[in-house]
This record gives sequence, structure tokens and C-alpha cells, in this order.
Amino acid sequence: MTGFFAVYRREMLSLWVTPLAWVLLVVFLLLEGAVFYSIVVHFATLPDLSVDTGPVQAFFGQESILLLLTLMLLCPALTMRTFAEERRSGTIEALLTAPVTPTAVVLGKYLAVVTTYALMWAPTVLYVLILRNTGTVDVPVVLTSYAGLLGVGATYLAAGTLMSAMTRSQLVALLLTIFVVFGLFVLGVGEYVFEDGPLREIAAHLSMASQMEDFSKGIVDSRRLVLDGSLVALCLFLTVRVVDSWRWG
Amino acid sequence: MIEVSNLVKDYGTVVAVRDVSFRVGKGEVVGFLGPNGAGKSTTLRMLAGFLGPTSGSIRIHGYDVQREPIAARRHLGYMPEAAPLYPELRVREYLHFRAALKHVPRRERARAVEAAMERASVTELADTLILHLSKGYRQRVALADALVASPPLLILDEPTAGLDPNQNREVRRLIRELGKTHTILLSTHILSEVEATCDRALVIDRGRLVAEGTLDALLALGRRRGLEGELRDPERRAADVARSVHGVRALSFRDGADAPDHVHVTVELDTDTDEKAIAERLVAAWVGAGVGVRALGPGKSSLEDVFAALTEHPEAGAPA
Repeated sequence: MTGFFAVYRREMLSLWVTPLAWVLLVVFLLLEGAVFYSIVVHFATLPDLSVDTGPVQAFFGQESILLLLTLMLLCPALTMRTFAEERRSGTIEALLTAPVTPTAVVLGKYLAVVTTYALMWAPTVLYVLILRNTGTVDVPVVLTSYAGLLGVGATYLAAGTLMSAMTRSQLVALLLTIFVVFGLFVLGVGEYVFEDGPLREIAAHLSMASQMEDFSKGIVDSRRLVLDGSLVALCLFLTVRVVDSWRWG
Repeated sequence: MIEVSNLVKDYGTVVAVRDVSFRVGKGEVVGFLGPNGAGKSTTLRMLAGFLGPTSGSIRIHGYDVQREPIAARRHLGYMPEAAPLYPELRVREYLHFRAALKHVPRRERARAVEAAMERASVTELADTLILHLSKGYRQRVALADALVASPPLLILDEPTAGLDPNQNREVRRLIRELGKTHTILLSTHILSEVEATCDRALVIDRGRLVAEGTLDALLALGRRRGLEGELRDPERRAADVARSVHGVRALSFRDGADAPDHVHVTVELDTDTDEKAIAERLVAAWVGAGVGVRALGPGKSSLEDVFAALTEHPEAGAPA
């Protein structure tokens, strides 16, 4: 793991001293703030609530794909520069001729975008605090919701890291990643399209929307986490192989 | 320090490096010389571990670049051709990152960075964004990066490319100074650079090593057969006299500053003749005819001539 921390720190620094992370953060928080506002206004007019539907659940993706859509745009934008920019500018040559392993480079870069993603969600804890002032909040549900968000985000970010390694153009990396995560979403929609049978089972299993649905109810289904973990591992493994393959270009 | 044997890089569409072998010993400053596109950068990139060789082996400081890449890279400081840097970082931030990446222990990092900036004369720019640096300063920051972990070996790909004459002189001075403490392999297509900085040169052309040796040995390689000298020839008889000397093929004269008292002469000789014997006969004939012979010696050559002789292609147009 030699070089991992150096790569991680450099990546964090570069993400936060350039406008990209800040622009994404502002857009993201404006969007989430608007969603939160409309959810609160909506629930304020309802006479009574059942146990597992409420503003918190709604915010974390229940009965709505708004959140998933946001992630499908946020995550690709976060990862697009990861490798594409280094290859376009040539800094990849300096990076890969330092005494570091490709695995350390890939993990350092990946964990930096995951950290940045988590930091972007951090201000939304305020929303939960606001709700707690006016009523009761089911804390375990909030925790599982954030875990679900991390799982979905980690998967999207891993796909984005892989796509960024496939091209020298940030724009192409962005579009490829959107294509992949949207493809994954469309597969999940199959749950509501296919008749009962193996196809429907697979679609339900792959559905990131259902994952948020579950986690926002407080249901931690280990199969979902295994899926996220497997997708992340697969994407990162492929990224390491791609980085390795540049030596043979 | 560097042992390269039978190195080949085949890109599929083009063979960039064909069977190159050489060694660079400890403490040497070696120039890697060749026209653009000869395979210099490809070879250096393989040495630095950025590209994998199709076949052949490279050892850096005794470590095989393929099998022990981390150990090999720890012993070398590599400066890529374009000096790529992160524009969004400050010089000191960048060098700190590079020092960490190169296993400089945390406690020594700040000192290593300051020392490297000092050597590359970029200390006064420590807090400047790399974005705002000129090409020459970027080059120096890249050099500071190569130095930051104090590796015994430096591999510099075209360290003076794109610099103005003053910066050029500055970088050459720096390389000469570094040569006292480091082993250096630097590539260039500028001959004066090799003359100014290197003990020895490797000449590569179209992927092949075509010559190798000290500068004097290379100069001798490219020397044209012939004589050069200076004459005092007020009556303009030197040409007629010389033509009667056996073995002389052609002469050319160039008037010096105080012509015709001072004439520069170049003598071409027939092949398979004894240069020294002809020189003797020529001097005797000229002196006998009243021509003042001020100097006569073997024809000189410049590194440019050597380079041209080694890398020019009579069969130009043939597939490379």
C-alpha cells in the first residue's frame, strides 16, 4: 500500500482547491434543500402518518427516484477527472514512475472521491436535526438511510473511477458513467416490468431504487450490501488492470 | 547504475526501440543523443518503469525494473519530457506530495523539500501556484521533484527543451553541478548540450544504438579524412602546387581576415592513402614553391558532423 496516503491527500487537496467540488456541493445542496422543503410542506398537510412513512423516509428515497437521479448526476461528475485529467495533462507519467503500486493509486483516488461524496452529504444532517425539533425522528432509520446512500454512492463512484480510466476526456468519462449508472437503474426498473420469474428476481436484486427503499425503512438487507461491495470490488479491480495496461500501450 | 540489455519496444504498428543494450556506471553523466522520434523518450520511459519493454531487461541500481519495480524506482529520480505538474497546487505542496509518494519519512520531508527547491533555485516560488509558472520554472520544479528523495540516479528527458538561452545555461550549470554527486542519464537532440554537460554519449537512431563512447571517441568517428591548414600565399600558387602532389583529390580555399596573406585550406585526399605521408609531401612541395605553411593538420570535425554521419539515411524514404 505504499503511496496510498500521499495519493489520497493529494487527491483531496486537488478536489477541494479547484472549483469542481464546490460547484457540485452548491448545486447538490440547493437541490436537496428544495426537495427537503417540498417534502416538509407536503407532510405538514397530512393528518397522520404511519410508522415507516414520513419526511425522513421520503427524503432518503422512499416512493421517489428524485434522490437516485441526483446521485446519477453527482457521482459521475465527481469521478470524471480522476484518471482522465491525469492522462490528458501527462501527470500520470510522474505519478506512475514514483515508487507506488497501481493498487495504491486507484484506492487512494477512489477513497478520496468517496470521502468527498460523504462530506457533501454531511450538511444534510441539519435537516434531520430540524425535524427533531418539531417531532420525533427514528435515529436507527436515519443511520441505515445514510448507510444505504453510502452503498449506492460507493457503487456509482467505483463505476465512475473505472470509466475515467478508460478515456483521456473528462466529458467522455462523465457520459460513459451516466450511461452505466443509468443502465443499472433501468435494469432495476425491470422489477416492475417483468412477470414473476428469474428475470424479475435479478432486476429486483440489482435495483438501486429498491435498495434505498429498504434502507430508508430501516431494513438492512445484507444481500444489498454484498451487491454494492461486489460491484465496487469488480470496478476497482478492473481499474487497476486498466492502469497496469497503460504500460503496454 | 543502469544495465540495459537487448531492450525492444514494439508498439505493434511501429518498433520504437530495437535491441538496445548499454550500461551507465556510477558517477557518470551520460548523454542520450538522437534525432526526434529516434526512440529516446520510449527508452527512458522504459527505464523509469512507465512503459513495459516488449523484450529485454533493465536493471537500475541492481534491481530489475520489471520484477522489483518499487525498489528500482526508489533509486531513481525521473523527469518526464513535458515536465507535467498539477497546476492547481503550489510548488511546496506539490513537492511535499512527491516526497511523501517517494517514501521520504515524514520528519525529513520539509527539509528534503527545502533542499530540493534550493538546488533547483525555486525557493522564492515556493508558494506560487504551478499554474502561474513559466515553462522554465516548471522545468526546474520537475527537476526539484526528481531530486527530492535524493536518489543516486537521475534520468532527465530533454531537460532543456523549450527554454530560452539563459535558462538553458542555468540548467546546464545545474546538471554539471549535480553530476558531481549523482549519476545522470539525460536525453537531448541538441549536440552542444552533450558537449556542455556529458562525459559520454549514446547515439540512438531509429530505435538502434548507432554509437557509444566518450565525446573524443565520437568526434574521431565522424572525422572526415583530409587535412586542414593555414597558409600565407600572396602569389596564389598553393593550388597549382598541391595538385601535383600524389594523393590529393581536391582543395578548397577560404580567405582569412588579412587575405591573401592568410588563407584557410581544406584538402580532400584520395581514399586508401596515407594521410601523414601526403601531409609531409604537401608541406615539402609548398615550402619548395615559396608558400608559407603556417599550420597543417588532420581535418577537424564537429559533433554536428558526427551526428549527421551517424544518423543520415542514404536510403531515405525506405520504411523505418
